[in-house]
Amino acid sequence: MPAHIVAIATHVPETILSNAELADLYPEWPADKILDKTGIAERHIAGPDETALDLGVAAAEKLFERDGIDRGDVDFLIFCTQAPDYVLPTSACIMQDRLQLGTGVGALDINLGCSGFVYGLSLAAGLIAGGMASTILLVTADTYSKYINARDKSVRTLFGDGAAATLIKRNGPGDTGSIGPFEFGTDGSGAHQLIVEGGGFRTPRSVETSEEVVDKSGNVRSRDNLYMNGGAVLNFTLKRVPEVVARLTDKAGLSIEAYDNVILHQANKFMLDSLQKKLGLADDRVPRRYADIGNTVSSTIPFVLEEMAEQSRFPPGRHMLVGFGVGLSWAAGSISF
Amino acid sequence: MSDFRDGLAEILEVEASELEDGFELGELWDSLAVVSTLALIDEVHDVSVSAEDLAECKTVGDIGKLVDAAVA
Repeated sequence: MPAHIVAIATHVPETILSNAELADLYPEWPADKILDKTGIAERHIAGPDETALDLGVAAAEKLFERDGIDRGDVDFLIFCTQAPDYVLPTSACIMQDRLQLGTGVGALDINLGCSGFVYGLSLAAGLIAGGMASTILLVTADTYSKYINARDKSVRTLFGDGAAATLIKRNGPGDTGSIGPFEFGTDGSGAHQLIVEGGGFRTPRSVETSEEVVDKSGNVRSRDNLYMNGGAVLNFTLKRVPEVVARLTDKAGLSIEAYDNVILHQANKFMLDSLQKKLGLADDRVPRRYADIGNTVSSTIPFVLEEMAEQSRFPPGRHMLVGFGVGLSWAAGSISF
Repeated sequence: MSDFRDGLAEILEVEASELEDGFELGELWDSLAVVSTLALIDEVHDVSVSAEDLAECKTVGDIGKLVDAAVA
């Protein structure tokens, strides 16, 4: 594949939600139990007037400034979010203006969650391989906190808001990095397992959808809030992730041992422990980053990748990226630096 | 079954010796316990059971029956 990742910058909002604050709300879950089960000590939460678009713009500005990237080089913008500023227009169009990118750029949104970074990367690689773009800015950003009921510990303990900006470039002379191959998966029959039901046109927001109910575990939510069936999502993950990893290694003609790291969507400690055991991988090949930010949805993988860079440069290596979640949707891809 | 029972005892935060078939899951059987048990069943027996069916279990014996049916 004739493209590579040049640089990644991330951004989190200022406000921190700690386990101590959550434990005050959920007396049966002390702070140390939340940390023990989720591996998450704190999450960052967007302000009332701060949107995913704002977080994405901040990540992109950091990328331009810190990595000395000329915004004029960008010829395509892909924005992955599930919390757009408006029903329409496309958030990526607003981002083009906010980032002062040229009017010659293509810009579009993709609506995916935890699989979104891998899908976005595959689209970027495809646009470059097809000769349609040469320098692509992929921004992932989400604010699930805005969908989460304050009294729903099943999701409030896990998700944090955050954003990442990734620059992907066509390989020039001397560039050795690569993006791909990829393998994908989708099972829409599981759509209801991870959903915000109210607010679309199937179920417009109404007095009825805003009615809060208490579930068997004591969690409170309405149909306007995020709902996750943790058990069903775990079962889906344990089945589909090993499968897509095997499909990718087959396609790439490599064994899993040929990858320096297997970078999984950073759902939470419990999910990663289960997957790591199932895949038979040692700790040092499954990097983790959730303790201080939680599950940032489509940005979790770039948060891990960013930490691998040394002085803004990625050391040589081959890595597998695996995203999985809402949809249900999943994907795995190879990258090398 | 002993690996499984030890794991379940850890999830429910009780002694493994207490987990007779008639042990009532009651209040301990929250969504986190169910999810943890799904992972345990997968790890020990390499099978998956339905999250909904598992959540419906009332006793340790009910879980055992569900796992036996999945393994069979």
